[in-house]
Amino acid sequence: MNKRLILLLAGFSLLACNFLFPQKVSPTLNPEISSSENEQILELDELTIVRLHRQAGDLQSMLANESKKAAALGQMPVVEFDATWCPPCLAIDSAIESRNELILSAYSGTYIIKLDVDEWGWNSGGVHNFNFDAIPVYFKLDADGNQTGEVIDGGAWGEDIPENIAPVMDEFFHGGK
Amino acid sequence: MKLHYLFILSFLCVLAACGKSSTAVQRVSLSLASFTENYVDVSIRLEGTDSEGYFLSAIFTPPDGYHLYSKDIPLNGVEGLGRPTLLELTEYSQIRALGVLTESVKTMEPNFEPKELLVYPSGAVTLSLPVELPAGNTWLDDTVKVTFMACSASTCKPPVTGKIVNIRVPGVDVYK
Repeated sequence: MNKRLILLLAGFSLLACNFLFPQKVSPTLNPEISSSENEQILELDELTIVRLHRQAGDLQSMLANESKKAAALGQMPVVEFDATWCPPCLAIDSAIESRNELILSAYSGTYIIKLDVDEWGWNSGGVHNFNFDAIPVYFKLDADGNQTGEVIDGGAWGEDIPENIAPVMDEFFHGGK
Repeated sequence: MKLHYLFILSFLCVLAACGKSSTAVQRVSLSLASFTENYVDVSIRLEGTDSEGYFLSAIFTPPDGYHLYSKDIPLNGVEGLGRPTLLELTEYSQIRALGVLTESVKTMEPNFEPKELLVYPSGAVTLSLPVELPAGNTWLDDTVKVTFMACSASTCKPPVTGKIVNIRVPGVDVYK
């Protein structure tokens, strides 16, 4: 009888803990296509990652808005097209999520604006002048959210490991400095 | 002289027998459809003979340096990643499958996680399905379904899922 009471009390305590201190679920780098609000999915000292959703508004206005935010943080706005089914895209996300030093160093000073191709479409899907034929692909933006013309995709490096990705992306992001 | 006639007669008999057997075993090798979508060339063919059986096959050729994924991974990929390479009959298909889909090359584990996301080596893959042709001696309209997605070590092309392809197939008596 006492054992039952103890078990019951323990159960109630656990329920109470969960109610009083709910676990925070941090958003991952993977997209939530149905969302109508844009997501800030990572904010480090030197790197910000956001994901824009189609239902949240006009892409060009949103890019202009995000570019202003990037400028306020002293970061370079860059659009990245990705997809949930794309293993190379996941490899980069995983490296960032696990705080891989090589990747974080290469991506430092950037403001990555993620767009999922399943949500925004490919070239034929009317994604405002973003022309590409493979993902992941990165487009540098200016302070007004317009493309600068500098583009790079995964074809620029070989196998998808941080040791290959980091030097190429470091050169792309910081090479002009 | 008599022997000479007998020899010629035997020779003619052999020739006649050969001619008969060559018409009986007529090998079919037909291109049923071909197209390129999302950078992958796809060619659908019908091969075989009446005695050995017929095979519906699809040759998937991705761009240089790109690979396709195993026919055996789930339709929605492994943990959402990748898409299988498939050749399927449709619900209304008049061709009947007589066995399982086979692949021309062996799959291998990828260099990254999840290891269950089996891939084919870079290059073309042929999938074949043993089939029974519809009855009759006429050609019929039919459809098949293909799924595929090409990736390299560092980039992916968009997937094609359950694309319906129109084909025209011969009845089983057309080649008898």
